[in-house]
Amino acid sequence: MDSRLTIAGRELAGLRAEKTILLAIGIQLFIAMFSSFLVVGLVSMYDPGALDGAQVEVAAAGDAVDDLERAASEVPGASVTAYPDADAARGAFERNAADAVVVTTRRESGRVSAVVTAPDATVETTVIVVQLRELLRTYELNERDARAPFLEDSPLPLPERSDTSPYFTFTYTVLIPLLVFLPVFISGSLVVDSITEEIDQGTMELLRVAPVTLAEIVDGKAAAAIGIAPGQALIWLLLLEANGTSVANVGPILALMTALTTLVVAVAVGISAVAPDRRAAQLLYSVAVLVLFGGATAMAGGPANAVARLAIDSADAATGVLVVAYAVIAGAAYLGVRRVVAAEGLGR
Amino acid sequence: MTDRLRRLGRRIAVAARRVLRVAKWESARASGGVDRKTLAAGVALLLVAGGVVGVGVATGVAGLDVDRDVYRVGVDPGSPYADAIEAEPSLRAVSAGRASLGDTADAVVVTVVRPGSEDGGAIDPGDVESVVVRATDTQKGEAAAASVREAVEAHNERLMRAEPNRTAAFPVTVTLRYVGRTTGFDEGTTLGGDGDQTSDSDGSTGGGSDGGDGGSDGEGGSDGDGSTTDGVGSVGGSDGSDGDGGFAVPSIGGAAFGADTVGSPGSITPPFPFTSLLLAFVFLVPMNFLIQAYGSSILDERTNRRGEPLLVTPLSPAEIVAGKTLPYAAAAAVVTTLIALAVGGGALSVIAVAPVAATFLGATFVGAMFARSFKELTFVTVGVSVLLTTYAFVPAIFTNVTPVALVSPLTLVVFDLQGEAVSAGEVLFSTAPMAVGAALLFGLGLGVYREEDMFSQKPVTRKFLDALAVRLSPVPTGGAPLDRRRLRALGGVAFLTACTIPFVFVAELLAVAVLFALPVTVSIPVLLVTIAFIEEVAKSVGLYAGFERGVFERLDGVAAGDGDGTLRVALAVGLASGTGFFLAEKATAVVQAVGLTDLFLGRAAFGDVAGLSGLPPLALAALFFAPLALHAVTTGLASVGASRGRTAYALALTLATLGHAAYNAGVVSLG
Repeated sequence: MDSRLTIAGRELAGLRAEKTILLAIGIQLFIAMFSSFLVVGLVSMYDPGALDGAQVEVAAAGDAVDDLERAASEVPGASVTAYPDADAARGAFERNAADAVVVTTRRESGRVSAVVTAPDATVETTVIVVQLRELLRTYELNERDARAPFLEDSPLPLPERSDTSPYFTFTYTVLIPLLVFLPVFISGSLVVDSITEEIDQGTMELLRVAPVTLAEIVDGKAAAAIGIAPGQALIWLLLLEANGTSVANVGPILALMTALTTLVVAVAVGISAVAPDRRAAQLLYSVAVLVLFGGATAMAGGPANAVARLAIDSADAATGVLVVAYAVIAGAAYLGVRRVVAAEGLGR
Repeated sequence: MTDRLRRLGRRIAVAARRVLRVAKWESARASGGVDRKTLAAGVALLLVAGGVVGVGVATGVAGLDVDRDVYRVGVDPGSPYADAIEAEPSLRAVSAGRASLGDTADAVVVTVVRPGSEDGGAIDPGDVESVVVRATDTQKGEAAAASVREAVEAHNERLMRAEPNRTAAFPVTVTLRYVGRTTGFDEGTTLGGDGDQTSDSDGSTGGGSDGGDGGSDGEGGSDGDGSTTDGVGSVGGSDGSDGDGGFAVPSIGGAAFGADTVGSPGSITPPFPFTSLLLAFVFLVPMNFLIQAYGSSILDERTNRRGEPLLVTPLSPAEIVAGKTLPYAAAAAVVTTLIALAVGGGALSVIAVAPVAATFLGATFVGAMFARSFKELTFVTVGVSVLLTTYAFVPAIFTNVTPVALVSPLTLVVFDLQGEAVSAGEVLFSTAPMAVGAALLFGLGLGVYREEDMFSQKPVTRKFLDALAVRLSPVPTGGAPLDRRRLRALGGVAFLTACTIPFVFVAELLAVAVLFALPVTVSIPVLLVTIAFIEEVAKSVGLYAGFERGVFERLDGVAAGDGDGTLRVALAVGLASGTGFFLAEKATAVVQAVGLTDLFLGRAAFGDVAGLSGLPPLALAALFFAPLALHAVTTGLASVGASRGRTAYALALTLATLGHAAYNAGVVSLG
């Protein structure tokens, strides 16, 4: 046991000397900041609900102007001005007196056809189109209500609107899983580098001369890599907590991510035993992790979803079973790889 | 004259031959490193995973719903709302009888039924008079309530799609046109609506329901795949794979965000170039694998002194590096061309991606020259990937929103995929800064491509200073003030500082982008100080390197009587550096005028060109040269600090930053 701790300590000392772990945390911080920026930026640029008081002026003409005006009174960000005919409305649009034109025609079939004109390629187009959609949907609902007797299944009444920010769901379903899993990938990559570097520099031979078994060397390196992962994740969760985002079930989340780190480290040890050249090993490792993780995320109950549900406090018994299952799989995978490596040796 | 030309031509030919020889050797070695077995294993892994995920998505077992079951909603199983909740992946239905708000449920759906229709069992949808969603008084509860509303909307939409009476279900059809105010009316992209226009606009989007609904046909849009395809995940699955057509801007119809009742108001999507953006991202993915191999190859030269034999050959370091880089640059070009062919991009896409690839390689080269071990290199490579990917990708998201998007060459790719015309000026504006940046990165790395730096274990910061100091030469203290050697040395200082301009701009843009999320009252002051700091560091770090490496004389190294001379040198290089920065900044003022000043925050960052008209010429001249005075003074201060050691440098830098920030604040408040 002692020699394993020594090897693990040596690994950590190397990381500390190079201050790479600081760089790692810096990269994670950057990703977190940038994804937040992305969401806030996207929301404010593409969701006019976030832009308070974005008012869209619509020039309307045609048969159903009154109904449109009624719909506009229900939509906060749109106002409709009636014009006597389509040309007058288009004139207003050309003069910049209106942001968009809606010309409605009642067809013989009983439908209303609306021809909408929005400005092309300006900064405001997105905002205008989103508001127009809101307006026309409200109009559609009103029209549908009037025709409800002709429908086989009447639509269900909608509940009240509630104020919520899209940032909330994003934080729990994307940001937290991302931050929790980044250290997992970094740890696996570290193990690949650590083993291939020892082989490349010939120091693995020196280590083998010392009174330690190959299994102990692997254990030590794996312990160092697995040991640093939960700490990083914990820093993130605490930072989020300080920022006002409460994260539930911190213990199970850390258990889950430690199990995944063990699994990824097992994969990393296996790959660097098969492909002792760093270039090949890193390439294979990236592909393997991509496959492993992409596949797991696409399945129901994938690790990203499990973390999201734990963090938002919507976990149930199944989530607990999932955490235990991941731990068992990871333990089995690591022990299996360790056994094979101990028997076959590194860098054949 | 012709003789000299001929000699030059011969020299270039020799250099080219040498570079090609190194390149041939490098590519032979690289293909040996990744053997066929590894490659086959990787490809097999990818194929298996792709197959499994593909089958999973196709059969509906798997979906990229990261938000599956995150909110628990109490609803009576007999209520018509139960179906709506079941169909929404992010909601999990809890039986209303057992749900307690805040403990096992985040929201509860309560239906009010028409009097007299209650019969104890299932509720008929027609009998529901109104509905109330009671949610916990938390952010989670509000989010859950909003999701319930969305679920009901989607449910209604599905109900209506199955309705035989199309006219009553979708009483409004919409035709959306985009018209430029100056160009007059033309037939733009249409959105379903009148039967004659449907076929060409949505046939290409592949999103399910395109049987045009010109009036009364009962078939349109009834394939009912709405249950499996909503959210962003499905877009990647269905559109990313076939990737032909449907990039019309603004994108309308079923393509984006899974709204697929063509012609109804719900199907309007704002002009968001989602598919093009996704395809543009595909260009960046291979770069990450490429730089891993490239970084390994460079670092390989440095471990166990493997690169030494190459260094003692008559090849110059520049030729060695060019030769080692060439195969990877060629691979990037081939891969980019293949991707462009596959996704329907033209030559413009390839031209736009070229500087991005060069920057990826340049940054990795610098990282591999500075790194001490494979582990360190891994972090450097991850850092390079993350930074460059965000720098290239994030501005491209705003392609149709603001002209600032053009700072990223990827925006050109998005334009190209959308089939929009781009002017030569825009191409230059977009690609030139990155190309220059890549060239400078290679120059920085080449500075330490020599024995004493390649094979030693110096910390990254010291190697960085080495790389800068290589480019400087000593400033003689005695002699005439306009001595030729002195002028050349000072010119070198000015040039080195001028070269930092692209990186200063990138850093400032990143600062703007990151601080963008904060409220303006906080972001503007923080931004002013950050930008002042970035500029001060850029101007003085080369000088610090010069003093630290002994290129310029330091105070502690000389006799006490000579301290005056050191001070004069410090001030002289400070002035030179400030002038170099000023000139480079003014040269880029033309670039700024193109578009950066459109953004409010951009104005704070790059502000001094805006709002100058209407001032008397004298004031204009004063305003024009005020930055020169500022840069000279602050950099002189930092330079004197740098000449006295690390602590003095840090102190002087802080003072210079504060002074600079105060000046910037003055300019912003004046403007």
